[in-house]
Amino acid sequence: MQPERKHTPEPETASTDPAVPAASHPHWVESDNLIEVLRRNAEGHGDQIAMREREHGIWQEYTWAEYLEQVLGFAAGLESLGIRPEENILVIGDNRPRAYFGMLGAITLRAVPSPAFPDTTPEELQGQMEREGIRCALAEDQEQVDKLLTIRDEGYAGLELVIYDDPRGLAGKEPPGVVAFTDVLQRGQAALEADAGLRQRLLERPSIHDTAVLLHSSGTTGVPKGVPLKHGHVHYSVRNASAAGYFEEGEVHMAYLPMAWVGDFIFSIGAALVLRFTVNIPERQETALHDLREIGPTLYFSSPRAWSNMLTRIQVGIDESSRFKRWLYNQFMPFATELERRRLEGQAPSFGERLWYQLGELLVYGPIKDQLGLSRVRRPYTAGEAIGEDVFLFFRALGLNLRQFYGQTENCALCAAQEPDSIKLHTVGSAFPGVELCISDDGEILVRGDNVFDGYYNNPKATAETLQDGWLHTGDAGYLEDDGQLVVLGRVSEVVYTAQGDRFIPTYIENRIKFSQYIRDVCILGNGREYLAALVAIDIGSAGHWAEENGIPYTSFADLSQKPEIYDLVHDILVHVNGVLPEGLQVRRFVNLHKEFDPDDGEVTRTRKLRRNVIDEHYAPIIEAIYNGDKSVDYRAQITYETGESGALERHLAIRDVGNSRAQEEK
Amino acid sequence: MFYRLTGVYQTDYAKDRALWPIPTDRWIALLLLAIAIAAPFIFQVHYVANYMLPWLIWSSAALALTLLMGVAGQLHFGFAAVMAIGAYSSIHLARFGVPFELALLGAGLISAVIGSIFGAAALRVKGLYLVMATLAMQYLVDWVIVNVPAISGGAQATLRTPDVSFLFIPLESVWLYYMALLWTVVVTLFVLNIKRSSYGRALVAVRDKDYAASIIGVSPFRYKLSAFFTSSFIGGISGAILAFCYYQAVTPEQFGFHVSIQLVAMVLVGGLGSVVGAYLGAGFVLLLPMILTNFVAGLGAMGILNVSASLLAHIPLMAYGALIIVFLLAEPLGLAKIYDNTRKYFLVWPFRHGQS
Repeated sequence: MQPERKHTPEPETASTDPAVPAASHPHWVESDNLIEVLRRNAEGHGDQIAMREREHGIWQEYTWAEYLEQVLGFAAGLESLGIRPEENILVIGDNRPRAYFGMLGAITLRAVPSPAFPDTTPEELQGQMEREGIRCALAEDQEQVDKLLTIRDEGYAGLELVIYDDPRGLAGKEPPGVVAFTDVLQRGQAALEADAGLRQRLLERPSIHDTAVLLHSSGTTGVPKGVPLKHGHVHYSVRNASAAGYFEEGEVHMAYLPMAWVGDFIFSIGAALVLRFTVNIPERQETALHDLREIGPTLYFSSPRAWSNMLTRIQVGIDESSRFKRWLYNQFMPFATELERRRLEGQAPSFGERLWYQLGELLVYGPIKDQLGLSRVRRPYTAGEAIGEDVFLFFRALGLNLRQFYGQTENCALCAAQEPDSIKLHTVGSAFPGVELCISDDGEILVRGDNVFDGYYNNPKATAETLQDGWLHTGDAGYLEDDGQLVVLGRVSEVVYTAQGDRFIPTYIENRIKFSQYIRDVCILGNGREYLAALVAIDIGSAGHWAEENGIPYTSFADLSQKPEIYDLVHDILVHVNGVLPEGLQVRRFVNLHKEFDPDDGEVTRTRKLRRNVIDEHYAPIIEAIYNGDKSVDYRAQITYETGESGALERHLAIRDVGNSRAQEEK
Repeated sequence: MFYRLTGVYQTDYAKDRALWPIPTDRWIALLLLAIAIAAPFIFQVHYVANYMLPWLIWSSAALALTLLMGVAGQLHFGFAAVMAIGAYSSIHLARFGVPFELALLGAGLISAVIGSIFGAAALRVKGLYLVMATLAMQYLVDWVIVNVPAISGGAQATLRTPDVSFLFIPLESVWLYYMALLWTVVVTLFVLNIKRSSYGRALVAVRDKDYAASIIGVSPFRYKLSAFFTSSFIGGISGAILAFCYYQAVTPEQFGFHVSIQLVAMVLVGGLGSVVGAYLGAGFVLLLPMILTNFVAGLGAMGILNVSASLLAHIPLMAYGALIIVFLLAEPLGLAKIYDNTRKYFLVWPFRHGQS
């Protein structure tokens, strides 16, 4: 089995050993707090654009000076509303300038913003609010305000104040306890005018040892754990990364990933303040790709899944394109991919090949990058899980210096990254300067550095297990190569055995299968079983397109997934993957599920990591049928709607054996 | 392939409505302008004086007509008469000693007033009936010019243009070309901007349905008349420029009915209401017969085409007619649509349609 690359940001072991490390961080610079940096930007570069948001088709700009005014005004307003230091403030919604201003306003008061994913269900949200004693929440729009009010009315009375940003549906008819962001801002600005010394006192209040943000591990098992990061952690990790050439000053950055994800705080607030990025916020999530092209960022981060979707989009677009354009693409793209593969193996391209590549840049690669809005990107990154080799090579072949990095919420997501000139396909690169990596005796990756957090929020038990002698136990299995590059194999806790005793990591096989554009999700079964089997969720976009191209009519996801042709398609993919797997670890049977795995059903986390215990429970009848050797199964599906209600549907699902070829399998 | 849209973003709506928000389009426009300005230095005099100069002037006339027919939707089959009024007015004004700049304005105004009087018919009639009304204008103006010696100097007479100067530059040799270029650029910018102004949108509203326009508060009376006025004004000055910069001597036949038909052909082949189309249409109608004639004559001289001299003279006409039919069959919306399709082909390269 080849080494596995995987980067999951949450450790999940547990024991009892209360040893919270003291806040002794020798490398922190005392003046490095986020508000101080913001003040320096506003004074030294007040006219530069700090943030843009697309609204009604045009970009609204905020300079650094305006940024600081908004933050201080909001902070003063919050204080007049009774917000206390070290109090947690819930931030929920899509990325908006005011959400960032609000977070920094809270940080100015030494209060702690606690961002949540906008599509968090009321139950999960209520849990988070109870654990963190939320009194005040900053919500994007009416939808989030309604969700919060429901929680307040149905059990969590602690919520005293809800501040909203988008006035639509709220302005002028606010329910009790709900105020507009602009009202808070006005209060604050009035307070600042009334008291000349307040501004200076606010600016001096935060310290590097304050908690800047309370993030959450995504929690593939159990409830999410709160991860408090201090100003110093954020600064230190950004400086490390910048020293490694990972960020540069004045990058143009697209803030489209959820604010509750550690990367967004590090990129859009931490690095953006320290290195004066221009942060661009799309109009809506749905327009992110279009807005990306308008802005043309220089720094771009996307998950492996999103890169892979982008590749699918290109391939579908080329399939539909006119014959001449398709012909050109087929002339140049395989050439570039092959060239890149050899370049990574250390072979320099010949003069003729370079010339041919330049022609391709003019005719194919350049236009594709332009269509995607990536033509100005100098630093494209990916992290979070393994990226398919095809996807990785494709974008590198386009001339994008795509690199992977590795990190967890607990160490500000910045731990290790591939260096520009020593990229190997199977490693995630070497540690940033200032970060130490080592491998424990049982093969777990350990991280030490001043970017590693000081302990979970109100969870000494988990803290003690994760932080030992200053080393962060990542929970990832891996090893270091001779040149110091880190190879990530998978989760330590995920190693399982078949009944025959074959050892395997399901995500390793799943990722290989998911490299196919037709498969969105797959769950490998086989813990304690005779053989491996797969629950497959097809990708409705590309599988649907494939069906259209091949004249297969379908009505819905469920209908398409049960088409024999789609079964054949998935079957061939599994046969292909089986080819690189050892005998005992080949997938023998599979089912095409009638739906995708859905975070609302708890089957995957919001960052789309499988929750295996939930899946085992939801699909127990199907799993039994697979291992009983049945040809099909009637399944009663429980569905949770976005409103929180649930319903049930009867589905008839076929079960298919995976043979060596299709002909052999069909009797 | 040539278009790069990454990083093209707007921070206010005015910039969003700019003529060429996409840099590549802007570069193409600037490149064409640079070629036009440098033309006397890079092309032979013969080509500039006999091909580019008339092409520019006819383009400005076609722009005037496309404003009326394409944007405002009012058919006009007597536009050569409008140009004739402009040409004769300007010559007579210049002969009276009026400075050329004012003579041009005067020519424009006279054409505009007379054009609007006939255009008033459009307030009552539409479509084919309007065609008849404008045809009447063509024949009336022709008749008046031929039969009033004070205007034409007699039926067979040729009226020479006096020597004039424009903004203290005597109009001769290369300055004739630059005068025409200046006028065409001014008209082009004018029509481009009209199309994105409230006035232009009102004209379009009247074109699409005049009583619907009046319901939303756009007075068809005002806008139809003003469309005739504006278009005739530009047409009149274009006629004057044609007389002074190209013909330098005018006769009534130069503005006959067949010229009106040619103008309509320019607008239709080019694409109704399109600025690019006016240029392409004028080029097609004006230059293609010349090129075909030269080509066929060349073939005849080389002995490849061994036919009688009269047939040799007619082959270009037949080919020209066939080409008009082929182009309109291939793309009924005109050459401008072909340009637009080509542009979009490159705009979404290497895909078939936009990706974002």
